Amino acid sequence: MSKWNCFYKRIKHEKQTLNITLSMVKLLHLGWCICTPSHYKDIGDSLVEKVEILKPIDLELACTWTGNPNKLPNITGYWRKDGSEITNSRLTVQLENEQYNLKRVFRITGDTLGNYSCIFSDTDEAKIDFNKKDKPIVAYVGDSVAMACKTKLPPNTWLWYRANGTEQELINATTDPLRYKISVDGNTTKLTVMNLTAEDSGVYVCSAIYNIKASVSRVEVRVITFMEPLKPFIAIVAEVIILVLLILLYERWSSQRSSHSPTGNNIHTALTREGNNGMDENTTTRQRKI
Amino acid sequence: MAKLQAPQVLQSQPAAPDGGWGWVVVGALFVTSALVFGIIRSMGVFFVEFVQYFGESAQAVSWITSIGLAMQQCVSPFGTALCNGYGARPVVMAGGCLSALGFILASQATCVTHLYLTLGIISGSGWALVFTPMVASVMQYFTRKRSLAMALGFTGVGLSSFAFSPLFQLLVEMYTWRGALLILGGLSLNMVACGALIRPLGTHKAVAALAPGESAWSCASLFHRAYSYLELSLLLQRPFLTYSLAITFFNCGYFVPYVHLVAHSRHEGFSQYQAAFVISATGVTDIVGRVVSGWASDLGRLRLPHMLVLWTGLLGLSLLVLPLGSLVGSYPGLLITSLAYGFCAGAMTPLVFSVVPEIVGMERMLGALGLLQMIESIGGLLGSPLSGLLKDLTGSYTASFLVAGGFLLLGTMVMTTLPHFFSCPDQRPLQRHACNYNNKQQNQQSPESGLMTNSLSEKLNHIDTIPYSQPQLDRDSLQPEPEVYMPLN
Repeated sequence: MSKWNCFYKRIKHEKQTLNITLSMVKLLHLGWCICTPSHYKDIGDSLVEKVEILKPIDLELACTWTGNPNKLPNITGYWRKDGSEITNSRLTVQLENEQYNLKRVFRITGDTLGNYSCIFSDTDEAKIDFNKKDKPIVAYVGDSVAMACKTKLPPNTWLWYRANGTEQELINATTDPLRYKISVDGNTTKLTVMNLTAEDSGVYVCSAIYNIKASVSRVEVRVITFMEPLKPFIAIVAEVIILVLLILLYERWSSQRSSHSPTGNNIHTALTREGNNGMDENTTTRQRKI
Repeated sequence: MAKLQAPQVLQSQPAAPDGGWGWVVVGALFVTSALVFGIIRSMGVFFVEFVQYFGESAQAVSWITSIGLAMQQCVSPFGTALCNGYGARPVVMAGGCLSALGFILASQATCVTHLYLTLGIISGSGWALVFTPMVASVMQYFTRKRSLAMALGFTGVGLSSFAFSPLFQLLVEMYTWRGALLILGGLSLNMVACGALIRPLGTHKAVAALAPGESAWSCASLFHRAYSYLELSLLLQRPFLTYSLAITFFNCGYFVPYVHLVAHSRHEGFSQYQAAFVISATGVTDIVGRVVSGWASDLGRLRLPHMLVLWTGLLGLSLLVLPLGSLVGSYPGLLITSLAYGFCAGAMTPLVFSVVPEIVGMERMLGALGLLQMIESIGGLLGSPLSGLLKDLTGSYTASFLVAGGFLLLGTMVMTTLPHFFSCPDQRPLQRHACNYNNKQQNQQSPESGLMTNSLSEKLNHIDTIPYSQPQLDRDSLQPEPEVYMPLN
């Protein structure tokens, strides 16, 4: 029977403590052992431990992370093989006793030899803000509309999609320069759709591609013709014309009515004004007639 | 000559009804001031859209309202000159059409320059043709209740700024800014209906009889008519110049708090909601101040210039105190001083217009208002950049508030140099009557006939202006005074 070696290595790296523990969990075959020359190679913030495996085994790799300054209760952890993310390996890791623990059992065979890494991600899910939230952007036929997406941290790339039901169709500005224009500026991107037609209505999706994953945000665009605001406008114009006609007609009617009275008003008051200059008491009775 | 002319001249200046149809005209002023200044104040909603759509800076977009306001004030004299020539009704209706045209064209704009031309110049000219003639018409309809009528008319501005911001937001969301501007053009067209409501009170300013042999369109007569319609002769007369200088100083300081109050509140550390509440509360006291001041000045206890001096003095003081109120970081202090500012600012607005007939006489009031608007625009153009500069230099808004308050107090002091300012201070009615009577004896002038002498028309005006005499004068000299002011229709 071979001797089982368990390792417990503590590596201090700046303010973070990354403990890598290799432990034998499953003993599939008797007699296998691991010779583990320990080579530590620093690659920036990550530490590589080389494990030589002579025979196929089930290997549990466990990572522990302490010293996260953000101290989030839940962070995401996942595994990578040879630099690319292992599908369905994402787990939510909880903070226990000031550390995050991520464990996974890997079946190591001749085919699955390679570089395995565990990644802890404590950044917030990158939030994208459209300038207008939850309300459709309205634009006119023949006009152009611009949509902008903004995040806090600049992503690797930006992609724009046009969503049709559940499908997403990539918008390529180079194949259609007359209709689409995509501009990228650090953590903002802008998609301009020109020469709008009614078919351009729909949902547009912008996605920010990060190393971790892509963050998406959707906005709805509604294309309307100019007839839409024209209807209330014409209603208001009609109302104004009717009002003006009513006012002028009422004035004409009331002046006709008052012109049936014996004396014209103005001349009458002119005469009484003259009287007022002399402070004539009779002016009062005269004016009462009006 | 005077006798013969008297009926004709009187016909052109009939007695102010002081009620009846006058209140309908006040309603028209309400709607008009809402549609002119309410829209200007709520344009901020559109600015965000313009910045996003055209990609221009906020400063470039803010020039739109600056140009619009400048046009409204500078074209005013021409508006009133046209009124003198053709009457207020056609001018206001044309102005309404013009401002609506500006909005409709603006909805098709493809660059910011188009907006400058349409919203700024065309709509601005339309506003000029609407606003000042409308104000003048209301003043012609009222004598005793003039300030109250003006105050009620101007409440349209305050109420509409509350209502228009959410309305514009809704329109922009439904139709984008293009459709919203189109609909605003339709709304502005309502000013045509308001103009239709102005029933002429008699023929507009009678052209002086043409000398025999002179054609109506010859250069000399055109020039003469333009000169008389524009009332350019006012520019040579001291009372008017004094008053316009005082108003210019008022304008330097008046708008500063509107522009800077929010930023000042934020600067002092208050939250966004607290700052917004301060502004809303100030708006409410503004409206209340207008109505109270209008009602109070019509009681006739003080002469109108005195009341104006009172309110502007208080306003200047409240501006000086405003930075102090928030200095200790207390929110109630800021709130109270802002409320005082709002009340005094509202209180002075109707009086600024009502005092004009006292200074220039009723016949020239129209032209005087136009010229006044043009001259006071200098104050507005000077005041805001100056306050912005002071803020950049000193880092806080205290200096700009102090300077604004200083301008207001300076204008108050200039107002006190008006001729006959210190005659008839607050006295009992009987004594006032005696005092006015003495005035009349001295120089054949009632204050209402204007503080200017030495022209033939002034002597004629003396007869004209008896109906427009000051409240005190009327009450005392014409005993059964309610009957005098019965509405004529």
